Amino acid sequence: MSGGLGLTLRGLWERRGLSLVVFLVAAVSVATAAAGPIFADSARTILARTTLEAASPDTRAWRLTTREEDGLAARTAKLTAGLPFLDPPIPGAELVSPEVTTRRNYPLMWQDGQCEHLALAEGRCPRTAKEIMVSAASGFPLDSTVRVSGVSDPPGADGEQRLAELRVVGVYRPGDIDDPFWFGRNLFAQSAGATETNGDPFFTVPATRAHTVATGTAAWTESAIVFLDPRRVTGADIGRVEEAQRRADEIAAGGSVLVFTGVPRLLEELRAQTGTLGVPALVVIAQLVALGWLLLFLTVSDLVAARAPEIALARVRGHGRARVWRFGMAEPLVLLAAALPAGLALAAGPAGSVLAGLLPAQGASPVVVTAGAVAAGAAVPLGGLAAAAIAAWRMARRPVVEEWRGAPRRRARGWIVDAVVLALTALGLAELLATGGVIAEGSGQRAGALAVPGLVALAAALLACRALPLLARTLFARTRRSGGLGPFLALRQIARGSATAGSVIVLGTAFGLATFGTAAWSVTSANYERVARTHNGADTVLRVGAMPLEEFREAVERADPSGSRAAPVLSVPGGQAAMLATDPARFARVAYWRPSFAGDQAGVPLSTLAGRLGREMAPRVLVTGDRFRVRIGSVRPPENWQPRLHADFRVPGHPRPVSIPLGLLDPARTVLEWGLPKDCRTAVCELRAIRGEVDFSPGATAAPDSRLDVPVRELAVRRDGRWRELDAGLTDPGRWRGPAEAGPKGLTLPMTPFGAVSAIPETFPEELPALVNGQLDGRYSQGADQAYLVKYDAVSTGPALPGLDRPGAIVDLELADRAAYAVDPKAEFQVWVAAGHGEAVRAALTRQGVPVFEPTRYTDLVARYTLQGPGLALFLLLLAAPAAAVLALGRAVLALYAAARRRSYELAALEAAGARPRALRAALLLEQLITLAAGMLAGVAAGLAAAAAALPRIPQFTATPLTPPLLYDPAPLPLVAVAVLALLAALAAAALTAELLLRRVRVDRLRESPA
Amino acid sequence: MTAAPRPPAVRCDGLVRIYRSRETEVVALRDVDLVVDPGESVALLGPSGAGKSTLLWLMAGLMRPSAGRLRVHGVDLGRLAPRALDRLRAAEIGVVLQNPARNLIPYATPAQNIAFAQRAGRAARGRGWPGRRERDRAAELLERVSLGGPVARTRAGRMSGGEQQRLAVAVALANRPRLLLADEPTSQLDAASGRAVIELIKETAAETGATVVVVTHDPAVGAALDRTVTIRDGRVGAEGRHGEDFVVVGREGAVQLPPEYHELLPPGTMARIEALEDGVALRRVDGTGHPGDGERP
Repeated sequence: MSGGLGLTLRGLWERRGLSLVVFLVAAVSVATAAAGPIFADSARTILARTTLEAASPDTRAWRLTTREEDGLAARTAKLTAGLPFLDPPIPGAELVSPEVTTRRNYPLMWQDGQCEHLALAEGRCPRTAKEIMVSAASGFPLDSTVRVSGVSDPPGADGEQRLAELRVVGVYRPGDIDDPFWFGRNLFAQSAGATETNGDPFFTVPATRAHTVATGTAAWTESAIVFLDPRRVTGADIGRVEEAQRRADEIAAGGSVLVFTGVPRLLEELRAQTGTLGVPALVVIAQLVALGWLLLFLTVSDLVAARAPEIALARVRGHGRARVWRFGMAEPLVLLAAALPAGLALAAGPAGSVLAGLLPAQGASPVVVTAGAVAAGAAVPLGGLAAAAIAAWRMARRPVVEEWRGAPRRRARGWIVDAVVLALTALGLAELLATGGVIAEGSGQRAGALAVPGLVALAAALLACRALPLLARTLFARTRRSGGLGPFLALRQIARGSATAGSVIVLGTAFGLATFGTAAWSVTSANYERVARTHNGADTVLRVGAMPLEEFREAVERADPSGSRAAPVLSVPGGQAAMLATDPARFARVAYWRPSFAGDQAGVPLSTLAGRLGREMAPRVLVTGDRFRVRIGSVRPPENWQPRLHADFRVPGHPRPVSIPLGLLDPARTVLEWGLPKDCRTAVCELRAIRGEVDFSPGATAAPDSRLDVPVRELAVRRDGRWRELDAGLTDPGRWRGPAEAGPKGLTLPMTPFGAVSAIPETFPEELPALVNGQLDGRYSQGADQAYLVKYDAVSTGPALPGLDRPGAIVDLELADRAAYAVDPKAEFQVWVAAGHGEAVRAALTRQGVPVFEPTRYTDLVARYTLQGPGLALFLLLLAAPAAAVLALGRAVLALYAAARRRSYELAALEAAGARPRALRAALLLEQLITLAAGMLAGVAAGLAAAAAALPRIPQFTATPLTPPLLYDPAPLPLVAVAVLALLAALAAAALTAELLLRRVRVDRLRESPA
Repeated sequence: MTAAPRPPAVRCDGLVRIYRSRETEVVALRDVDLVVDPGESVALLGPSGAGKSTLLWLMAGLMRPSAGRLRVHGVDLGRLAPRALDRLRAAEIGVVLQNPARNLIPYATPAQNIAFAQRAGRAARGRGWPGRRERDRAAELLERVSLGGPVARTRAGRMSGGEQQRLAVAVALANRPRLLLADEPTSQLDAASGRAVIELIKETAAETGATVVVVTHDPAVGAALDRTVTIRDGRVGAEGRHGEDFVVVGREGAVQLPPEYHELLPPGTMARIEALEDGVALRRVDGTGHPGDGERP
């Protein structure tokens, strides 16, 4: 208004110190608020890309096929229009018909770029019509001609239509059959030897179709494959991927085009992964915006108050109130307008990069200023705008002469705002303590409770700003009588309350949030590390290809001869309980372990506990050959009995025992034999039981107490035509269990009329010694083969075990193997590696030819947790709240400085009256220190209270882990650091401002009129 | 047909102003009756705290009377809406506040300070953009107060006290006010500068026919103006014309003795009133009603 922009800019320069502070507070607050969405968007993008990269190819592409000629180009264009994260469609065509000599069905096909995905064995790629490239497995030689029944030359002059002669110009070998390029087709079955009727494709060029005609029932099918490129997808594109799927559905609904895709599954996964980000991030951003509002509100109010003489002058000159109002708002408006782009640039530039760099994620994380970031950033200056509007309006309406009166009218601070905040805080706390939903309540339905930490901080700050003047008034009465001039003046000023209220509120709130953020992050990051280390089991876990357990164990031993760096672990998923089978000695040296994991055995070292997992057992009864023989003593079965013997074997490749019948027992037979399972002719099989069963003659009944003891004298196996007696320990009672009894006369199998009876080699204990983390002791759980149940004999029962994210047990690998008939195909072969040895062990395994897949480090899990909604929100709070606290401290110091500066006339008068500078310095120092420390300590206390109340109820994970139990005690060091830093900062700021103020206190100022 | 008589520039009837705070009430003005004619220049004299500045602020419409009426050019200020009061102040009243720095925007140049006041006047008169006449007027005012040339580019806050005071007068005169009110315009100036400022005010008032009311402690300023009005304890105690002071009889017949007579009639003294042909005489008596020592007519 009056004076225009030039005058406004001159005014800003006149108050450059305060203007700079307002600008900085606004810009940093804008940056803090805008950085939240930027951070969240970066995290969302990384999550989306990680999810896409981990997804199988069929969930990342659409394959469209139609029999309509030229029917796909327009449709794929429709699918891909405006979606930059989609690759250009890969066109192709295919016609399947039998080859005339072999009668195998061969696809004659082309797919754009096909030669780059095939290994050329001979010849070249086809270039012209009717040239083809065949697989080596097809057996067609180079330069031969091939005819398929579905492709003919166009009719000749004679009207005859002859099958087209396709010339073989190249021979290929299929590359990776999982190459996504071949998405949607199961090709190369002939090379894989998986079929007798289908051949590998004949690859040709599009011109073949143009120069031939499809005959009979054969027809060309056009295809187009559209891939999603994970590197070009951002977190904001999830809706557009949904749009692409909608378009694909529309195309498929037309009826003439088939669409094959797994994208809907991908979308579900994407939604699940990114869905948890929204609400928690929003809550923290909202609290940061609110804090920025508060800061700006107070700071801008200070700026408007500093213009009071000019505003009064405008009134004196007769400017209307609306004009005076605009005049009062002009400077804050210019500053806020400048701070918005500066803050956004700060968020997108350094702050955004720092935030994005801190995201412990793979690959580059793009920093983009989104509409959400601009909106969050723009919301902050609104607080300043509101402050400017209110303060300027008050100035415009205030009686002009009040500006010149010695003692301005005091306004009592109302209780309404305080009461509302306190009521909301009480309500939020009650909701929190009663029902427990806080930051990551996925649905966001308890949004009211989400702001509890911020509300607690604000409420504590409001109470502190009320309590401080009261306390000062009480102490002031004492200093009147004794205590010196310094404390007297300081307490009198604090007791007035006007200068301290805003500072205490803003400091209390900001430091409350900062303390809560620090406590929350301390607790959460400790839990992340604890859970990640526990779930991963060791520093690094290598997953290797499945192999026989003995080879697995030996491979690890060769990779780590020291025995202290790597441990083989067979991870069996199980149903209700998982099983980890390992080498106990190695496990004890490599696994992550906390004494609490041992529960009732907490004082016992892991090496001791692990040593109890093994057990000395009888040697296995191993057989390799074609026939098995049992020599028994003479038996006389009771009347009507038809007793039979069977032998059960563990046979490689068979998930269950393979049983062979040994024959009917009768008094005349002492030798029973039968052919061993076919696989045992070359592989090592294991005798797992000799089983007796009794049948009865039709119509006969058995006496319940009848019994037949079958003495087993010898076990033998035939190999290469020669029988060899097995060392089965038939006379050793320690080598057999069950109702059978081993003794000097051999193994006696007591057969009864009801039920089968087995003699089982004592090669493993009936209950596997195990470290367990649930109530598994004595209960049946699934064994390593997932076919038979095992019982555990708990060595220790604790709340958690390494490598397990749910109830389960850790057992000796050797015993688990002996107890099982096979290894469950779903079981993972893992090598746990100690910190710092991952690469060396991996290389050593690779050198042995062991396929090693991408390792999992516990730090990867920590990174994943950090990217989840709650982790992200708390990380944001940790980064932004201290920044806000520093701003709050700056603002408070400035406000105290300004308030004391207004009193420099009074201080000069005191000096003239004989007060010593030392007393005045002490007064200023004490006043500032008490105010700053009160605000900060109120904040720290509020933050700790909020942490104690809220942290146990804040979900720190998207899905709370079943094990290990989470801990909620903040690490004291960061909290003490925050408090000490706060106090030191307060002391330094107070000392500096007191000294600066003292320099203004000169007796000659008394010649001037009081300001 | 005869022209209607011009209303007084300022007319106060039983003017009362009370300052209220939470615990106390201070009566700053009580039953002030005062008439200032158009074109007249009046000095308001009196001790500190007598209510001079309050009377001036009331005349400027910066505060409302607690009781009584105050008319400026016939307009009852107490009944004016805030907006109309702003317009009146912008268009017809020029104000020079005590302490020259208060009159100025310290970071603006002299010309900008004048333009700041002119904008208010322009808005009050319903005009839009500044015209050449306004710019000429500003230049003329600056020349008149000897602030033309290089000084015109100096920020007001960096000017000397005398320069600031002269500029404050120039700003107050920016809109050719019909009533110029000045509060201690010479208080921080040396005698020569003070005389120059008063001359400036008188000359300008004479040129424009403006009425001038100046609050001052300085008898020299009072002597330079047409009339003096002495305010004591919130009342009009005396008026001076042509070098002679007269007590003023208040609404309830109260008369404030000038301080120089307090020795003869100290506060608390009983006096006998004796009627004279053209007035009354006060004679001191003792507690019994007899004439006191040294009694004189």
